[in-house]
Amino acid sequence: MTNLLIILIAFLVIATLVQILRVGELLSEVRNLDVNKVTEKDNKTQSFLMGSVGILFLVSCVWQYFSWEHLMLPAASSEHGVTIDKLMAFTMILIIVVFFILHIILFYFLYKYRKGDHNDVAYYYPHNNKLELIWTIAPTIVLTVVILYGLSVWDQITNADTSKSQVIEVYGKQFDWMARYPGEDETLGSYNYKLVQGLNALGVDMQDEASLDDKLTRELHLVVDEPVLLKLRSQDIIHSAFLPHFRVQMNCVPGMSTQFAFTPTKTTSEMKEQEGDSFEYVLLCNKICGAAHYNMQMKVVVETQEEYDNWLSQKNTLSEKLITKK
Amino acid sequence: MSDHHNETFISKYIFSLDHKMIAKQFLITGMFMGVVGMLMSILFRLQLSNPGESFAILEWFLGDKWAPGGVLDPNMYLALVTMHGTILIFWVLTAGLTGTFANFLIPLQIGARDMASGFINMLSYWFFFAATVVLLISLFVETGPASAGWTIYPPLSALPQAIPGSGLGQDLWLISMTLFIVSSLLGGLNYIVTILNLRTKGMSMSRLPLTMWALLIVAILGVLSFPVLLSASLLLIFDRSFGTSFYLSDIVIGGEALHHTGGSPILFEHLFWFLGHPEVYIILLPALGIVSEIISVNSRKPIFGYKAMVISLIAIAFLSFIVWGHHMFITGMDPFLGSVFTFTTLLIAIPSAVKVFNYLATLWRASIRFTPAMLFAIGFVSTFITGGLTGLILGDSALDINVHDTYFVVGHFHIVMGLSAIYGMFAGVYHWFPKMYGRMMNKKLGYFHFWVTFISAYGVFFPMHFLGLAGLPRRYYTNSAFPMFDGLSDINEIITFFAILGGVVQLLFIFNFFYSIFKGTKATENPWRSNTLEWTTPIERIHGNWPGKIPSVHRWAYDYSKPGSDKDFIPQTEPLKEGETEH
Amino acid sequence: MNIKLRNNTFKQLLWIGMAGISMFFAGLTSAVIVRSAERGWDTFVLPEYFWCSTVVIIFSSILLVLSKRKVKRGVSPTPYIFSTLILGLFFAYFQFKGWGQLILEGRYFVGPGSNPASSFLYVLTFAHLIHVLGGIISLIVVTIKSSQKKYTKEDHLGIELISIYWHFLDVLWVYLFIFLLFSLK
Repeated sequence: MTNLLIILIAFLVIATLVQILRVGELLSEVRNLDVNKVTEKDNKTQSFLMGSVGILFLVSCVWQYFSWEHLMLPAASSEHGVTIDKLMAFTMILIIVVFFILHIILFYFLYKYRKGDHNDVAYYYPHNNKLELIWTIAPTIVLTVVILYGLSVWDQITNADTSKSQVIEVYGKQFDWMARYPGEDETLGSYNYKLVQGLNALGVDMQDEASLDDKLTRELHLVVDEPVLLKLRSQDIIHSAFLPHFRVQMNCVPGMSTQFAFTPTKTTSEMKEQEGDSFEYVLLCNKICGAAHYNMQMKVVVETQEEYDNWLSQKNTLSEKLITKK
Repeated sequence: MSDHHNETFISKYIFSLDHKMIAKQFLITGMFMGVVGMLMSILFRLQLSNPGESFAILEWFLGDKWAPGGVLDPNMYLALVTMHGTILIFWVLTAGLTGTFANFLIPLQIGARDMASGFINMLSYWFFFAATVVLLISLFVETGPASAGWTIYPPLSALPQAIPGSGLGQDLWLISMTLFIVSSLLGGLNYIVTILNLRTKGMSMSRLPLTMWALLIVAILGVLSFPVLLSASLLLIFDRSFGTSFYLSDIVIGGEALHHTGGSPILFEHLFWFLGHPEVYIILLPALGIVSEIISVNSRKPIFGYKAMVISLIAIAFLSFIVWGHHMFITGMDPFLGSVFTFTTLLIAIPSAVKVFNYLATLWRASIRFTPAMLFAIGFVSTFITGGLTGLILGDSALDINVHDTYFVVGHFHIVMGLSAIYGMFAGVYHWFPKMYGRMMNKKLGYFHFWVTFISAYGVFFPMHFLGLAGLPRRYYTNSAFPMFDGLSDINEIITFFAILGGVVQLLFIFNFFYSIFKGTKATENPWRSNTLEWTTPIERIHGNWPGKIPSVHRWAYDYSKPGSDKDFIPQTEPLKEGETEH
Repeated sequence: MNIKLRNNTFKQLLWIGMAGISMFFAGLTSAVIVRSAERGWDTFVLPEYFWCSTVVIIFSSILLVLSKRKVKRGVSPTPYIFSTLILGLFFAYFQFKGWGQLILEGRYFVGPGSNPASSFLYVLTFAHLIHVLGGIISLIVVTIKSSQKKYTKEDHLGIELISIYWHFLDVLWVYLFIFLLFSLK
């Protein structure tokens, strides 16, 4: 019944529209006018609209910025993140300035140069090589700066010195994350995907000496101001480990090991003071991975060395977990 | 090319060899798919702004299985996102846009009776039609349509255990895409050969309208990049159906270790984006061509810097082949390679900037006539600026780390590629409608359509940048699982409001389109007082385009308001006057 | 359309189509390059039958060159085209024998005995053979038309087109063969 009603209403709406258009066209036929010819009045209205809607659009952009600015990510909590933020600010300011200048010019021209009495003939101006050269070179220079600046930051991030970094493995699977700490020997044991079973969720090879003291956790704890190297793996499909507060993101690819090095600089409790009590660092999945993709997360905690040691010492080693239970 | 008098209904409207009819077939199929794709986006927008709430419309469209109690199922959400992307990118903005305007305009604007091979042209449409049918069938399979994103990254797209859509739905997707690739290759071949060989007397390459240049370059891009996608999908089909290990390795899923070893998912990404990136320009370039033409006609001014426009088109096309890696900065690729791709990617900004400046220079001291087509062309310039600029952030590998795959990307590409191309398409339809159907589209509805579209499109996609800067990843079924995103629900509601508004007003466009086909006011031969050749053809559609001899060409297409002439346009067919120099 | 313009148009269609096919194989072979640089890439010797098929397809190309000369001189090219067709069938036969030999050696397309190297080998040779199949069908058509004396000195587009395409398949095979020799070593 409702379906029938919907169809009926749609039909009536279309019929009404047709009639309105027909009446408009017939009226203008009587007055001997072409209803679809663009008249001077149209040009006036439309160019006025262009100017005013244009300004409204630009104003709304400013409004959006000021009303939503507080929702943006807080300043970076990692060393390299600060350089990314600087580069971001530089690029943002650049593009915002260009955005406003170009749009103002566009809307001004549209408002000013509408066809009308005093503006009936356009100025024949097919090209000007000098002008074109200028606006090829100007963006080239600006871009050279952007590229060089960007590449220097990229280089710093990707070529970070990892010799002193604490190595932690982050392992993604549908739909949660795990972390593996290397234990006292500071070496992660080897792995093989065929060994993934039950408690040994990461497929760690227990024949390997280095594996015995590894620790599996469901939270990622990091020490403030200490460099860390995340080794990323995936069990099933591509996931992406995204730590927005640290400006860290790297894909986890099955059959491959990827990595990302960074140094956290603010503890969770410092951030709670700054952002409110509910604040938590988080690692989320940022590559489409199935039904619960939207909820694939792991809590991240940045703390002092003391708190960290205390936390880690309470965790069982893999040998305790896997071997003693047998 | 003579006896076409005995056309039957089937040879005239269905298996037509006439390029104009084939163009209309592409346009109407594209419009239909556009409605389907848009409807999908509205369905998932409802979930995003009101997560977990019940909507009768969801249940009405998706049924009990995929929207139990009117609440969208997470798997169906991903399926809708995937199909929305596939349909809009390939069906609407590739086939719908290029298929329509390349078929319609190429013979008319270069002065040819038809395409080089009408038969190949017809095949191209029917392959496209078959692809459409297969894709639509995939919407109704039990396990749901493909759901691994339009980029179908394996292993997700290869393993039905990972997501139900990767079962039969993905198979049909791949079959449909193969048919689609064949269609666009056949079309592309024809466009290139026609433009190169069948130009009328006097139509040198340097006198071609910019639409022709754009369509020629697009066809070349398509012929070179689509086969690579075919090879990528072929290997994926083998992995899925025969158990090879091209892309799969070391996978444990559902508690079972798979036998695949030695494959690399990253290999697929390389092959995919080798097509995928040129594809972005396959979508954008025709719109650039159409818009250049329409801005020039309605400004009553030559397009500024014709040569620079052509060179920048070629430069963009060339660069598009060597930038695919910027989609993969965070896949763990070699950092040096990342630097190279950053460099090439940001270079694209130069020809793009030249284009924008040239458009502005064309509008300077013009005599602008605001037709609905012109309004959409202007909308294109605006979105091209807005979306292009954010590309500077995404193309920069260091900045990409934190905005990759967030809503910032969604905002960026919907504005620069989605909106720009769709505005180009609307502009083209409004502009060439009188030539297609011999009638005018209703002007007032056109104005209304533009303004509501312009406002609601920015209302949808501009706020997305803020969502992205807040760290919200794309393709999330809901953002309620993270307290850090709780503040974003207002933005999501605004976006959904504008999405629905923008969606509804497109129905008005479709109404205007069909109304005008049958009831619109009669058009004159050259209603926009334009220079190009298509406006010298008679209003009645005839096979062969010109009743007598094909006119020959004596000048470029942009002699508007040329001093020394008594009218403000000089058609290309008019010989140069004594002492007159070409531009 | 006059004959010259028609001929040019169709040749260009073919050339551009071949550019597309080349990109298809470029995609596959670059995938091989990327993959072979990683661990677990098997190496082995190509079956002798592939050497045979290489010789056969080169020889068939030469025959087609001769047939084009004949038709230009106004002599019937049918025997030459027909022998090309036969050699084309031999090429296909040797490809199948080659695969048979691989299977005897325990190198499968899929399953436990397979390796990405052998899978790629099958995909590349199979994809090429599909294109050869297109060539063989066209050769059959051209042979029939030629025996019906449809080709003249001035107008023999069919022979020209199949020549271009067949030489392309020849070059493509030689490229794939050398490529496989090196990447499986």
